[in-house]
Amino acid sequence: MAQQILNAIFIGSIYALFAVGYTLVFGVLDVLNLAHSAVFMLGAVFAYSLVALHGVPFLPAAVIAILACGVLGLVVEYVALRPLRRRQAPPISALISTIGLALIFVAIVEQATPGTLFAWLWQDGANSVRFPTGAVPNPTFHVAGLTIEAVRLGILATSIVLMLLLGYVIRFTQAGRALRAVAENRRAAALLGINVDRLFASTLFLSSALGGLAGILFGLAVADISPYIGRDQVELKGLAVIVLGGMGSIPGAVLGGYLLGLIEVLAFVRFGSNVEAGVAFAALFLMLVVRPQGLFGARLRERL
Amino acid sequence: MRNVVRGIAVGLAVVLTACGGGASPGTSASTNTYQGKTIQFGAILSLTGAGGVYGPSSKNGIDLAVEQINAAGGVNGATITVTTQDDASIKQQSAQVAQTLIQQGNLLALLGPTLSNSAVAVHPLAESFKIPILAVSTTGINIVPDCNYPNMTPCTYVFRDSLGEESAIPANIMVYSQNAHPKTGVLMVANDDKFSSDGGKIVAATVGKYGIQLLDTVEFSKTTADFATPVTRALQKHPDVIFITSLGGIPATIMIEARKQGFTGQFLGGNGFNTAKVSKQAGAAGKGAQSGSAWYINNTFTSNAEFVKSYRAKYGSDPDQFAAQGFAAIKILADSARRANLTFSDVAGDRTRLRDAMETVNVNTPLGPFQFTSTHDVRQTIWIIQMDGSGGFTLVQPVKPS
Repeated sequence: MAQQILNAIFIGSIYALFAVGYTLVFGVLDVLNLAHSAVFMLGAVFAYSLVALHGVPFLPAAVIAILACGVLGLVVEYVALRPLRRRQAPPISALISTIGLALIFVAIVEQATPGTLFAWLWQDGANSVRFPTGAVPNPTFHVAGLTIEAVRLGILATSIVLMLLLGYVIRFTQAGRALRAVAENRRAAALLGINVDRLFASTLFLSSALGGLAGILFGLAVADISPYIGRDQVELKGLAVIVLGGMGSIPGAVLGGYLLGLIEVLAFVRFGSNVEAGVAFAALFLMLVVRPQGLFGARLRERL
Repeated sequence: MRNVVRGIAVGLAVVLTACGGGASPGTSASTNTYQGKTIQFGAILSLTGAGGVYGPSSKNGIDLAVEQINAAGGVNGATITVTTQDDASIKQQSAQVAQTLIQQGNLLALLGPTLSNSAVAVHPLAESFKIPILAVSTTGINIVPDCNYPNMTPCTYVFRDSLGEESAIPANIMVYSQNAHPKTGVLMVANDDKFSSDGGKIVAATVGKYGIQLLDTVEFSKTTADFATPVTRALQKHPDVIFITSLGGIPATIMIEARKQGFTGQFLGGNGFNTAKVSKQAGAAGKGAQSGSAWYINNTFTSNAEFVKSYRAKYGSDPDQFAAQGFAAIKILADSARRANLTFSDVAGDRTRLRDAMETVNVNTPLGPFQFTSTHDVRQTIWIIQMDGSGGFTLVQPVKPS
């Protein structure tokens, strides 16, 4: 059981990191960026491609991949969100345009095989791969019957540090105050001299960089990198997490991530996989009935 | 216009020649009917999605065979073409693609679909339109002949050249039991995919015969994010063997996780193990993982050696079982078409003539000499293979069909 709780904490921290990016965009821009799962996948793919195809050591590869994902966030903003905002399209349009972008990102990877346009990025089509053995030193400890991998400990530490850092930035820095002001009231913030468009772009950059990092960590932890890891394995769960935690709330996303990880694992252990997803989504449903605003969504007037 | 007139003239000449020599029906007559014609097939493959691990290999095998046959003069002078469509590993899309291909109206036979899960939707469609369909990678239960399961009326247009899990899994368990005498096992099975859950049923029904006690069955969804949880549960029982029946990269992911958590026992599996991609992803964690395969790369009989050589020359990589089965499928269809006395004017009649000819096919393929059973299934040697820890496989032993 102790091992299962550990498993829950590890997968929970990946859910949390992924969901924080999701909820950040929702909190500031009021749209769900459904391309986030594709950026998550591309984070893993970029890092894998740098390490396995181009011989870059893991750490610099991870940094480049995270930055590249940040840039993809800008692509999402400039291609899928800003033009619609300019025309004052309803949020649902942004939802659809980000789905479109996600489909394109996934298609680029799944169609890439040697000799094709994107062979520099990916050569394995729809297949799963993993980081080459030894790319990341990963001593495994067996303590009191528990298996603990260094990589997973690293993931836990990275997630916690980053989420604390993000919380600090948003709460206590000038940029964070601007972010909160925009989330509160876009127009008023603009009147106060905040460059709203630039802030939106930086939000997308930050959120996507976090998503990319979550993807890299996922690829490391579960040894599975494929065009579908975002779409099949975390997208719906990420949505569940931010509903659970309260749409737009960062502490909510963090807590929601760990909570979902725990619920899933406990449901699996107690009832088996047939009901694993069912139990997770039943919890979600219950939350919506009992507390529609989610765990941390109470103070709707103050976001993030 | 002049070209059209010339075309008609040439056509007439061909027909007249055919009639002239047609007093005795036989090869020369059909040769002339076939000359210059096109025999069109359609393939429904999973080039993307979960089955995208297998579909592209099938396509490579199919394309290679088409290229070779056409280069050698075609089928009695007729050229083969194959239109391949991707079903994205989604059952509904598979059925939709099949419908579109069938309604083009000029295809003589279909190949595929890649996944058993999709075959359940596509095969009954082909049966009702009376177009022969040859499955090239589906290994689940009730694929042939009862494609309309639970209706047990045999389907007459559905064939497969892919070795069923009902043959491969028991053979593999038998061989491993005889060699290593395992006492206990845990089954890990994806419960939201027909291929995987069928495999699980076969394992559960087989282990008792060899004195292996199944301590637990760990079911999971193919969209499971992290396999640490199911693997932890499986290892709590300390099994000698972990049976894995699942698709895509999942078997590899499970092996890696289980080794990390300290499992030192044996992995046994099904068709999901039989591609170099999975062996490569599993790497050292997969070394020794054993499965029953329809094909083995190092078989030296001519039809396989030539296939492997030409595949390497064309694609610059090793073929896998799925490529071999795709290649074999075209050999089977070409041999059948050669003997079917096709008219090229009556599509419905030609489809039935092709179907009849398929039932008596006897042709050398990379899988070995190939014939269908009376239920349109495969009867062939099963190659028990092991992952070699570096992306390949080694042969444990062949098992002759019982």
